[in-house]
Amino acid sequence: MRHVEIGLLFSRSGSYRLLSEACRLGALRAAEEVNADPALGLALVPVERDPAGEADAYAPLCAEVLSGGARHVVGCVTSWSRKEVIPTLERMGGILWYPCPYEGFEASSQVVYAHACPNQHLVPLLRWAFPHFGRRGFLTGSNYIWGWEVNRVARDLIGEAGGEVLAERYLAMGDADVGRMVAEIRATRPDFVLNNLVGASSHAFLTAMADGGGGVPILSCNLTECELPALGAAAEGLIAAGPYFREGAEGPGSSFEAAAHAAVHFLAERLARDPDAPLDALLAGPGGALSIDPATHHATLPVLIARVEGGAFRVQERQAAVAPDPYLARRERLSPRDRLAVAR
Amino acid sequence: MRRLRVPDLGGARALILHRPHATVPALARQLAAIGLSAEAHWPDLPAAALAADFVFFDVDPGHDGQFPWKPGQAPMPMIALIGSETPGRIEWALGMGADAQILKPVGDGGAYSALLIARAGFEARRALGSEIEGLRGRLAERQTVVRAVTILSAGQDDEAAYAELRRLAMGWRVTIEEAAARLVAKGEGLRVRRRPS
Repeated sequence: MRHVEIGLLFSRSGSYRLLSEACRLGALRAAEEVNADPALGLALVPVERDPAGEADAYAPLCAEVLSGGARHVVGCVTSWSRKEVIPTLERMGGILWYPCPYEGFEASSQVVYAHACPNQHLVPLLRWAFPHFGRRGFLTGSNYIWGWEVNRVARDLIGEAGGEVLAERYLAMGDADVGRMVAEIRATRPDFVLNNLVGASSHAFLTAMADGGGGVPILSCNLTECELPALGAAAEGLIAAGPYFREGAEGPGSSFEAAAHAAVHFLAERLARDPDAPLDALLAGPGGALSIDPATHHATLPVLIARVEGGAFRVQERQAAVAPDPYLARRERLSPRDRLAVAR
Repeated sequence: MRRLRVPDLGGARALILHRPHATVPALARQLAAIGLSAEAHWPDLPAAALAADFVFFDVDPGHDGQFPWKPGQAPMPMIALIGSETPGRIEWALGMGADAQILKPVGDGGAYSALLIARAGFEARRALGSEIEGLRGRLAERQTVVRAVTILSAGQDDEAAYAELRRLAMGWRVTIEEAAARLVAKGEGLRVRRRPS
């Protein structure tokens, strides 16, 4: 039996704890399954560190895990933390398996991106939303790269489709003072709100919108089942894009959990064959539920648009497999003329 | 703040002028991930390079003869690959028309921002160039404008004559210089017709 240490770098406290707990659960569950599978002949030994939601804690803790002998780390939720650890990965030859949706425009040779990038979340979400709701959008976000860049792309897409951005508003991470944003939305009556707030800010915003938002549809690129308990009834009607939503009683609890789970399985199957293979060879090998593009290290993923109905997501639209395009270099342009029929 | 127009990079063609070296695959990897096709050339660029969308060029051993165009006249954005950060080499790279740079050794990043900065700089330079050309043309036509105003000033003062020239230009949907040139071309006839008897 071959023992391989695998780092887990997820915050167990802090403002986006629910998301990182879901990722951690998926990774640990996959490790258990790998260890229980005699055919693989591999024992994954999780080495955990908890940055507690502090961006500056990630790089030193990542270095600690790598210097202890692990080469692969599953971890990070925010792009801020991912960008913090990349220099450490480069210096120490580590690989990060990143299980969360992000804003794109990155293709590090030290990172494998197992969740969606904008052509797999934002672009199909807006394509779906324009004919359903209209093209006058109100953009919100937490004050860091995820919100800034997703909203910038949204601005381009809305402009290209002949729509209008009524406002773009940000809150500091963890800030729950959402009253002014909600008042502005009530006053401007947008066709939809694109919500790129994260964690506690997002929960406060969605709760306030449910009370006094006037029924404006709210779209999100990263809302999953793992945040529904925190939202309760305020989640009704929210719309999200993602590679997976739980349908029925089986399967992972959210796409965060699913991505971390799939990444660890994918990695384990390859490590079982050759634990020392360089990443390119590792990615090129067969097997596993993920398909990783060797040029960008991003996953080909399904794209689902779902709405919360009766406390669970109900899928509205489904594309089976969308290849990653992290730099939006191969994107089909939206046209204001073609009435934006949903792309098939 | 001026909003950046993000260029369509998918399918764009980049040429890398660099000897076979680890720099080339590192850069090509970044370009492929972004969505460009890349090909390396050494020791010089073929004439077909004129059709490329971007050129990355090695500054360290670089010289004018490697390019199928004159220094500063590249028809596309150029990105310098700089190893020795010496004034002489940087001077040469600037003379060649570098719009952006990446420091060697090339690692895992830098290409995307270099592409965007080079494209924005190149387009700004080109727009300024054509604006300057237009202004130069208009300066050169000052004499024509003076002659046209003289023609039109028969029976009215210069200010009214200039206002009339502006009106004519607007009516013809041409520049004042162009309108002046038309008037001067048939100037004698006008002068005769407008002269009070």
